[in-house]
Amino acid sequence: MSGGCSIRAIWILNSLDSVVFSRRFPVVEKRWQAACKSENENASEESFSYAVYSLLPADSELASAFVERKQREGSARGFGIRVSQSSKGSDSWVDDPITRHIVGLYINKGEEGENNLLWPLILHIKGNYFVIVLPLVEPRYLKAYTRLCKRSDCGNAIGADDSLSSLLLDLPSITGYEPEVVVSASPSVGGLLDSLTGSIGISGISSRAKPVAAPVASSVPSNTAVAGAVAADAPKIGSRPLDKDALRTFISSSMPFGTPLDLSYSNIFTIKVNGFSSSDLPPPDLKQPAWKPYLYKGKQRMLFTVHETIHAAMYDRDEIPDNISVSGQINCRAELEGLPDVSFPLTGLNTAHVEGLSFHPCAQVPEHHADKQAVMFSPPLGNFVLMRYQATCSLGPPIKGFYQLSMVSEDKGAFLFKLHLMEGYKAPLTMEFCTVSMPFPRRRVVSFDGTPSIGTVSTTEHSVEWKIVTSGRGLSGRSIEATFPGTVTFAPWQTQRLSSSRSGFGIIADEDSDVETQNSNNVVNIEDFLMDKMSNDLPPADLEEPFCWQAYEYAKVSFKIVGASLSGMSIDPKAVSIYPAVKAPVDFSTQVTSGDYILWNTLGKCPSAAAEKA
Amino acid sequence: MADMLPPALKPVSPQDWETLIDDFQYGGLRRHKWTSLSPVLLDLALSTILKRDFPLKLHLLLFLEEFSDSFFLEPIFLDRLLDSLRLVIQSPADGFHITLPLKDQFLVSTTSIFISLDIFNKFHIRYAESLVELLLIIVNRPNHGPDRQTRAVACECLRELERFYPCLLSDIAGHLWSLCQNERTHASQSYILLFTLVIHNIVALKSNVSVLNTSVPLVPFNVPQSLLAGGSSNSTNMGLNYKELRRAMAFLLESPQVLTPCGMVEFMAMITPVAISLELQPSMLKVQFFGMVSSYNPILCHVVLMLYLRFVDAFDGQESEIAHRLILMSREAQHYLVFRLLALHWLMGFNELISSGEVKKKKAMAVEMRLSFYPRVFDPLALKALKLDLLAFCSICIESLKSESALDAGKSVDKLFGDGLVSVSAFKWLPPGSTETAVAFRAFREFLIGGSSHSATDPSTIRTLLESTIFNTLQRMLVDMMLEYQRLVPVIVAFIDRLLGCQKHHWLGERLLQTFDENLIPKVKMDYKLVSCFPIFDRIAENNTIPPSRLLELLTKFMVFLVKKHGPDTGLKSWSQGSKVLGVCRTMLMHHHSSRLFCRLSRLLAFSCLYFPDLEVRDNARIYLRMLICIPGKKLRDMLNLGEQFLGISPSPHSSSFFNIQSPLTSHDLKKLRNVSSYVHLERVIPLLVRQSWSLSLSTFGVGNNKPDYLQGITDSESPGEEKDIDGSTDIQILETERIGQPQEPLRVMDSKISEILGTLRRHFSCIPDYRHMPGLKVKIFCTLRFESEPFNRVWGGVNSPASGVDGLDTLPAMYATVLNFSSSAPYGSIASYHIPFLLGEPPRNGYVSGESMPLDIVPVNSGPGEQKSFRAPVTIELEPREPTPGLLDVSIQTNSENGQIIRAQLHGISVGIEDMFLRAIAPPDTPVEAMPGYYSDLFTALWEACGTSSNTGRETFPLKGGKGIAAISGTRSVKLLEVTATSLIRATERYLAPFVVSVIGEPLVNIVKNSGIIRDVSWKDVASDSSPDASTSVSGFDGGPLHLTYFAGEDESESLVSTSKKTMGCFHILIFLPPRFHLLFQLEVCDISTLVQIRTDHWPCLAYIDDYLEALYLA
Repeated sequence: MSGGCSIRAIWILNSLDSVVFSRRFPVVEKRWQAACKSENENASEESFSYAVYSLLPADSELASAFVERKQREGSARGFGIRVSQSSKGSDSWVDDPITRHIVGLYINKGEEGENNLLWPLILHIKGNYFVIVLPLVEPRYLKAYTRLCKRSDCGNAIGADDSLSSLLLDLPSITGYEPEVVVSASPSVGGLLDSLTGSIGISGISSRAKPVAAPVASSVPSNTAVAGAVAADAPKIGSRPLDKDALRTFISSSMPFGTPLDLSYSNIFTIKVNGFSSSDLPPPDLKQPAWKPYLYKGKQRMLFTVHETIHAAMYDRDEIPDNISVSGQINCRAELEGLPDVSFPLTGLNTAHVEGLSFHPCAQVPEHHADKQAVMFSPPLGNFVLMRYQATCSLGPPIKGFYQLSMVSEDKGAFLFKLHLMEGYKAPLTMEFCTVSMPFPRRRVVSFDGTPSIGTVSTTEHSVEWKIVTSGRGLSGRSIEATFPGTVTFAPWQTQRLSSSRSGFGIIADEDSDVETQNSNNVVNIEDFLMDKMSNDLPPADLEEPFCWQAYEYAKVSFKIVGASLSGMSIDPKAVSIYPAVKAPVDFSTQVTSGDYILWNTLGKCPSAAAEKA
Repeated sequence: MADMLPPALKPVSPQDWETLIDDFQYGGLRRHKWTSLSPVLLDLALSTILKRDFPLKLHLLLFLEEFSDSFFLEPIFLDRLLDSLRLVIQSPADGFHITLPLKDQFLVSTTSIFISLDIFNKFHIRYAESLVELLLIIVNRPNHGPDRQTRAVACECLRELERFYPCLLSDIAGHLWSLCQNERTHASQSYILLFTLVIHNIVALKSNVSVLNTSVPLVPFNVPQSLLAGGSSNSTNMGLNYKELRRAMAFLLESPQVLTPCGMVEFMAMITPVAISLELQPSMLKVQFFGMVSSYNPILCHVVLMLYLRFVDAFDGQESEIAHRLILMSREAQHYLVFRLLALHWLMGFNELISSGEVKKKKAMAVEMRLSFYPRVFDPLALKALKLDLLAFCSICIESLKSESALDAGKSVDKLFGDGLVSVSAFKWLPPGSTETAVAFRAFREFLIGGSSHSATDPSTIRTLLESTIFNTLQRMLVDMMLEYQRLVPVIVAFIDRLLGCQKHHWLGERLLQTFDENLIPKVKMDYKLVSCFPIFDRIAENNTIPPSRLLELLTKFMVFLVKKHGPDTGLKSWSQGSKVLGVCRTMLMHHHSSRLFCRLSRLLAFSCLYFPDLEVRDNARIYLRMLICIPGKKLRDMLNLGEQFLGISPSPHSSSFFNIQSPLTSHDLKKLRNVSSYVHLERVIPLLVRQSWSLSLSTFGVGNNKPDYLQGITDSESPGEEKDIDGSTDIQILETERIGQPQEPLRVMDSKISEILGTLRRHFSCIPDYRHMPGLKVKIFCTLRFESEPFNRVWGGVNSPASGVDGLDTLPAMYATVLNFSSSAPYGSIASYHIPFLLGEPPRNGYVSGESMPLDIVPVNSGPGEQKSFRAPVTIELEPREPTPGLLDVSIQTNSENGQIIRAQLHGISVGIEDMFLRAIAPPDTPVEAMPGYYSDLFTALWEACGTSSNTGRETFPLKGGKGIAAISGTRSVKLLEVTATSLIRATERYLAPFVVSVIGEPLVNIVKNSGIIRDVSWKDVASDSSPDASTSVSGFDGGPLHLTYFAGEDESESLVSTSKKTMGCFHILIFLPPRFHLLFQLEVCDISTLVQIRTDHWPCLAYIDDYLEALYLA
């Protein structure tokens, strides 16, 4: 049994913490009970204290356990790290951030008056819904985890036995039930479909690949728009009604006995709707893969799209080097009849800038030196991500320059932008649009003054937006320099007591009035004073965020560049070969968008990290 | 719905079914209410599913599946279920009423129900057989077009059955293999997985069946005999058919390309154990599957990792490739965060695994990779936290490699630590509750404890940790941090607390606190911000491995600072900060031995209670000071305990706090109070010579006058005048001074001798305070209070926790705030009560019984009373006698036991003897020291004279001190012969009466007394020097002294004395002052074998006791 992936149950809770959907797998449960029985028989002498609870909770029990955990751990996800409020036996006691995703619940069976740990539960939050999946693990792992979260010492030591790490390494079933299932099973099935079909712009049967934009979007500062709102577990996507029938069908087809067979929603959906007819003949000599239940028929062609996202932290400081990274992927759509193999050489790539490649399961990667050889793959239907890579920028940064903001008084700041766009970039590289926004999530913009050398400016309540290049007037084949001096006035600062009361990590500072007044006397500089004052009630960042965005002043650049990739990743359509040979046109396009492209205020604080290169 | 169900099986609407299903899933009462109806419900459900136009068929099937155990209790329903299944399967799919998904789900649900019910073991075998047969019929149509999905599902059903009943299908493995080879649609995955499982089970159960043999027909299906026999003990377990199985494996290993990632996981889970059992070359698997590590699908990577774990040796040399893949996965921003976290966890688990193998090489690998563990700026904090863990792991590797290579380890560990921390360096200025702070401090701990795990067998020593670079760096860092960013102090305290709370790393926390004591305290700035460091000071104060001197000195300085800075607008601040200082002091009192703190802390507290501007602080400081001085350690700690529990102290009712004001529990239990005096003892330090059993009461003498006339010796010189004086007019005052200067005495003729005597007496009496107008003379009686622990505990419930009895003192009970009140019927004036703040009970006395057996007792067996001091409280009773008379003092005690009970009781009385009244006469303050003996000698003579019967002073009055009262002398004489040798008489005199001897006369006596050196500073007169004129007056009974005969009337007595004077050695003059104003004079004429005592007094009632006293003194 070890090594397989099965789930005992799945629950979906809504924002009111009541179960709106649940599904139990009696067959898996039967295996669990058998395992418990033998575990309790085999190891009776040492493990009496961690008797394994062998029953699945009813929906109401699960819901109340979830509420209880939420209260104990501060939020649905929990603290993740052991903090002063963490209690023994709870997830954060284990002191590992992954306990925000792999959680334990104490099911309280009223009559027995005993709490029974249910672990591991994979918690996925999507929109307004909490999806909880309980994979089957051997009971000894549950015992091991119980020991971990009830340990009385100061916590895990690196490299010690029985750590959470070795536990997770042993448990593919946890990996198996991470978002792959969850995304497909989650209520926004329609949303997923929409984005899937939309990713290359061709509708029809789509691949199981997730579009690159979706996960990256979650790392964008989510609270730039809403001042002070802490979007801890708050919905990021609008709620959709839960289509229970679709969900039920999907689960029944993808994992009839609780053990998944194929999680491709599109395949399952198509099979359900279309079924098979006698005309759907299997290939005469080959086995048709399970991930390709239908074969394509029609005009043959291939599309490749390189999609890159640029993350940059621009400091314009001597002591901190700028940091630019590219994460890219090659999306593919192969409309080819039969079951052909496609290959193209990897040697043609400018591999100097590519850090690492990873591939779709359909790709055959030679064992050694994957970077130097050809990649061969047997494409599935529809869109799929052929490979992903991390890279550095082969050209210079598309936007260079600095942003300076200086508070001249408590409520007024003077700022200056000086930017170079597309310096050294030649045609066909085209910048379709470029916008710089200065978010002030904790201050309300009252007025603003200043004129940029190029482009237009608008303000919202909590930001100033500067459109340098607007869509329709792409910037191609030349570079431009843009400056923007100005001042911005804010509404008077109000101490945000509300937000500070939600003290995430619980070490409550001694709010001694003496100390505070002292502070104000000692600070000479108005900026430092303001900084101090504002940082006093900064809400703690989520562990999913890279840092506390609200603590910094920065400008975020959004842009889109087409024409070529910035990493140098490219596919020569002529070098793409198909076996058995068919004549199929190969289309290739690139698209570069900005991820977190941040210009830090040169005059303020900025987050940084030590350089990896020694 | 419940009400409409049972009567007639009316069609039930889909909505009703939904409600019903919801109720079941909700559980609890909502489900319970349906229990009795389950057969009806099942019946209804089965028929509903077969209805043509019911929309929720799938839902209903799932419902039956999930709750099958509460429905299918009767075999008849299994028949119905199978019938329904056959009906559905055989009906052509119309895409509307009978859809393919319905068929599939029905198959799955039925299989699931059968497995849940344990159909093989609990029901007749035919049910299982007919289900398997049905499934096999479906499966047995490879490559058939339209129903390929249904065939795949049927394969899955068979696989589940085979999983639960291993080798169920082993007899038909040959058929399955050929089906597997034939199937070319996407359903082939299910065929492959089914066949793989069959192989797996054959291998696992070592079943000797041929997988090529197709002699057993597929249908009709019969359950193999081996399975029916019920277990593994059957004859077919002869051994595996290796050749065939290897062929099957070769076939299977070629098929993975057709599997979905999910299918691959299942496949790998089954294939790996088979490969091991068949002893296949691991490299075969490696070639086939290692490429999956390059996939971005996490589950496929994990599959490779699992494979690696099984065949570590085969993958030798590829660890770094795997590690790099994992790092890459953690960097892929496209992944969900949880996968990136998982990748790092795998890497960590992987590292743990490999470092248990070839240690050195693998550690070097980790060190080599360290740069790729550096957190990046946009890494989510969770990821940063785990990367810091990895860096900590690297630092351990570097440390351990340090000894073996010339690596500049110190530098790179520090660099690693410093570089890693950059990514969360905002913790220094963000609020202390920020996530960055939490991540940073988590990393501190990981780096600090390094590889020292919590297992008891951990080899890392304290030494290596203490010597590690990181420990030194971190110590410095924390100190600097507290100096620079005071807001981090609470975080650091929490950090230290976490270490302190850990059994294994407790010492680390202590060590850090010691560092703070050494390095932080000298560096802090003396200003109001210091208070932010107090939480850490509190921890330092709590720790008794740290000498408190440094902290106390700092606090003292701070108190001085506060006092100095105090001004009109700092009132509240002074109060708050002063109170916090006292809070730290309190912590110290609770955790240190008082002796360790005493000097500095008492100075600090004394300073505070004297000079601190805030009243409450002063007050508290005073209380602490009193406690520090009076109450010994353990009791003090219990009292100071504010209610929180301390380690090792069991919650006991008496640990109630000093500050929690409890309603006093006055015990009204008479039984409890009755015998208090039997174990609480107030005793005289010096026992009375005469156990006075009686006392002379003279009140009956004065008939009609309640004051005995001898008391009228003192009268106000002019009472009416006194009363007039209250107006306070000036002329009267003049009059008064006049009067004092020249007492209006009748003029009398007296010789110079008498006037000299009178002068001496006047001078003497003017020194005696008049108790009616000023504090009188006091007599002190020294006593001790003690109580026995055992009976006290028995009655009042003491400390009875033997666990805490490490120190013997801890177990003893104590009395708090004891007040002793005294009263007496004797004329002793008002007697002040006596207060004892704290008294410990005496340890049980069993030591006295068997001395040798208790060497451990704290009190040495034969120790004198001085050594038991700690269990005895000195009590001084001060009497202001109106009359020098023995009497009895009644003593009552009021005290508090530890549990807050108030004890009020009467103790045994204290006898006051006549000797308690003995005082030295008061010498005028202006008398020089060297003139004292002369003065006393003169005074004796004068009083002796005045107390004579024929005294000329009889009518004289002498003003007392203050001039308002006057006294007269009316003397009495007595005599007593003591038949006792001179030696013992001298010894007794020296012992008891030495302070009162005013002169010693006669050479032999003088020589003896001078030699012993006890009696000093008296006038010495030998007979030879008896030339001085006044000396002769005081000496009587010496032969050849002509003058004294002139003055002494009792000549016959003198004569009798003279007769014995042959052996007279000399004589003592003893002058005893009896408060309030009386005198007792002895003249001891010492002879060899007897001594004659001449007694004179101006207070005749005392003679009644003197007789007994002298007998007890000299004859006992």
